[in-house]
Amino acid sequence: MATNFWSSSHYKRWIVDRATLRQARSDDVLYLDDPDLLGFLNIFFANLISKLGKKLSLRQRVIATATVFFRRFYVKNSYCETDPFIVIAACCYVAAKAEESPVHIKNVVSEARMLFGEEYGIKSFPSDNSKLAEMEFYLVDELECDLTVFHPYRTLMTLCGKEGGGSLPEAEAGEADADDTDGPRYWGTGEGKLELQEGALQMAWFIINDTYRSELCLFYPPHLIAIAAIYLTLVFHAPTRAAIQHAQAQAQPHASTSASHSHSHGQSHSPTRRSSRSAKKPHPQAHAQPQDIVGFMAGLNVSMPLVATVAQEIIALYALWDRYSEDPGVESARAALLQRTRKGRAGRAEAQVQQEAEGATAAATGAVTPMFLVQVLLGMREQRMADMAHPASGRPVVVNKMLERTQAAG
Amino acid sequence: MLDEWSSNILVTDPMRVYRSKRDAARKRVTDKYSILGFISSGTYGRVYKAQSKESDGRIHAIKKFKPDKEGDVVTYTGISQSAIREIALNREISHENIVSLKEVILEDKSIYMVFEYAEHDFLQVIHHHSQTLRSSITQPVLKSLTYQLLNGLLYLHDAHIIHRDLKPANILITSSGVVKIGDLGLARLTHQPLQPLFAGDKVVVTIWYRAPELLLGAKHYNKAVDIWAVGCVMAELASLRPIFKGEEAKLDSKKNVPFQKDQLLKIIEILGTPSERDWAKIKDLPEYQNMRRLDPFANRLGQWCQSRIQASGADLLSHLFAYDPDKRLTAAEALQHKWFQEAPQPTRNAFESLPSHQIPPHRRITVDDAPSMMPLPAAGSQAQAQVSQVQATAQANLSHSHSNQSGKAGSGASFASMSAGGTHTRKKARLG
Repeated sequence: MATNFWSSSHYKRWIVDRATLRQARSDDVLYLDDPDLLGFLNIFFANLISKLGKKLSLRQRVIATATVFFRRFYVKNSYCETDPFIVIAACCYVAAKAEESPVHIKNVVSEARMLFGEEYGIKSFPSDNSKLAEMEFYLVDELECDLTVFHPYRTLMTLCGKEGGGSLPEAEAGEADADDTDGPRYWGTGEGKLELQEGALQMAWFIINDTYRSELCLFYPPHLIAIAAIYLTLVFHAPTRAAIQHAQAQAQPHASTSASHSHSHGQSHSPTRRSSRSAKKPHPQAHAQPQDIVGFMAGLNVSMPLVATVAQEIIALYALWDRYSEDPGVESARAALLQRTRKGRAGRAEAQVQQEAEGATAAATGAVTPMFLVQVLLGMREQRMADMAHPASGRPVVVNKMLERTQAAG
Repeated sequence: MLDEWSSNILVTDPMRVYRSKRDAARKRVTDKYSILGFISSGTYGRVYKAQSKESDGRIHAIKKFKPDKEGDVVTYTGISQSAIREIALNREISHENIVSLKEVILEDKSIYMVFEYAEHDFLQVIHHHSQTLRSSITQPVLKSLTYQLLNGLLYLHDAHIIHRDLKPANILITSSGVVKIGDLGLARLTHQPLQPLFAGDKVVVTIWYRAPELLLGAKHYNKAVDIWAVGCVMAELASLRPIFKGEEAKLDSKKNVPFQKDQLLKIIEILGTPSERDWAKIKDLPEYQNMRRLDPFANRLGQWCQSRIQASGADLLSHLFAYDPDKRLTAAEALQHKWFQEAPQPTRNAFESLPSHQIPPHRRITVDDAPSMMPLPAAGSQAQAQVSQVQATAQANLSHSHSNQSGKAGSGASFASMSAGGTHTRKKARLG
């Protein structure tokens, strides 16, 4: 189970399609002037989870799991009928337990109260531990008790990780039973590793962090997201891209057909080519030569069009994020990307980022801020409450408040 | 637009609407199952035998976690780590030799885990042979039970799960003789742990089944601790009593884990004093010096096995009991052992070779002495509660007398998979 994604609850029950998600948001869009705001809310909530997680000293993987829980909860619920802030706190609390690094409930309550109250003016967050524990109960129920989540980080480390853990900020504790004897990988060539430079590996890691600002984790299996992140890294990370271009230029004279397309090129001629069929060990001299990165990517047994789609969506996320004004944080790959696009470097993908970003900024009347989104959320909820009391049919629903008050009192 | 009450709710309890919607939609335990009786209880909560109200009318075991209490009022205080673990792991796994979880119902501040029902468990089979039949478990049954146990364990280990609490009470057998490993409450995923294993639970595995590396204070351990426990269980099946029945030294007031001298002594008396030649890393373990102070013994496992297990079975046992965890057999290797190739080969139904009168009796169910643990139909008022209590008692009495016809010495002791209690007291600390 821990090794087999294809038999996991994640794969079997929690990869959803867009129609399902549109349905999930159908009530919310009634109360939004601009459906684009949903994208901003995705970024906003993920940032909140990340902030709360950092205050609780949660590891990146725990924060990622909490974010996935949050997304899954809102596959079945509306923002306008719930309080996302307590849901966020419950997600962090449950994720910490699910990832075997529990935090005390009272820490979650006090940190969440402080964060939401002081930075976002949310006064409704309860001070009572039992309210969070109650939310945990409903959350676990909504999650159908599926608490094991797969993340792209694992694929990244499988494909590119250095033996003995690198100097990544979040190198996992490969302690105790650290047997990586998973047998042949269930996809890919099962051979070798992609040797990325330290900076490139870090960039891929940060791009994966960034993907949690979107709903990608609901649409695609984590290994595709990881490969898309690696692909973007190969394009954006200047030294790596230079190395690829250099390798291609060198290989060019040997090519029988002029392979301008990198994929076909990589597959046709390269000294360290890895193929799913070749059982031979890499030629000894291969070590001396620079690695054939393009060939490695092409040799992965995944749908490249799908990887390209995921990469496109990540770029679209960056474009949207550019219109959102909150400190992007040091750990965001987007921060690095933005700097680079502003320098106006060439490159198709980058140009696209820039183009989309410019178009978006022009269209936007102003940047979206967290405080604005908080107001939007509160407004949605108020209107929803009003509508439930006075439905469109014009016939007000009888609300027996006396009864409800009695119930509330105990 | 909003009146005072509504806007108040938005401030004081913005999840009111959500909860009432959910509560209304939720099917209650008693809507889906009728409770036939009470099976066992422990520190974790209580286990009931129940029948599905669906057309198949299947029998289940429902484990109800003890609700949290603050004074007399049941409140939410957070789901325990062990419940989260057991739920999370069970949702991902599926194997013939692992007790399967049908569903989890969260209702009224309580968690109900609905498992497939199993009529017997290893402990009950051992009791049946030692108390009623007064004869040892036959080799074909012993072999089949051991094989199936290893087969289930292989699945868990392949999924990177260490069980950490294998013992006879936790290993169930269905009425058709299929072994089912239960109680994953202490189990852990070991793939890429964010924290080392010892950080969470300082003490794991009931003392009699605890591997030497744990007794010697190893901070890092692995799947091999389960294999040691399998060895203990196999030996217990063969001799009808625990092979290493030591006294547990209690945690001191500072919750320090003491040196388990007596338990280690019990092991050494049979397996001999471990040498650095058997186990090179032993000298690095925290309690090594303490162990050296114990009297030396020679290995007499062969002698111990003589009247109890066939020669090749004894060979398997000696390899399950390798001191060095790195030399101990893995589940996969153990399944390849020649004992399982030899006649009689292990059968899928462990009881296949038995005449019907030797098959252990059905699990005994009783009247719940704390009926309030089960939700009452339309729970709420006191009067209703009393009525349903009477009903429940009558219902339980019915099934009670029924089960009595079939078995006199049923093991009321424990529904193993669920049991932390029973005849073996739970001897370990848990992280809340």
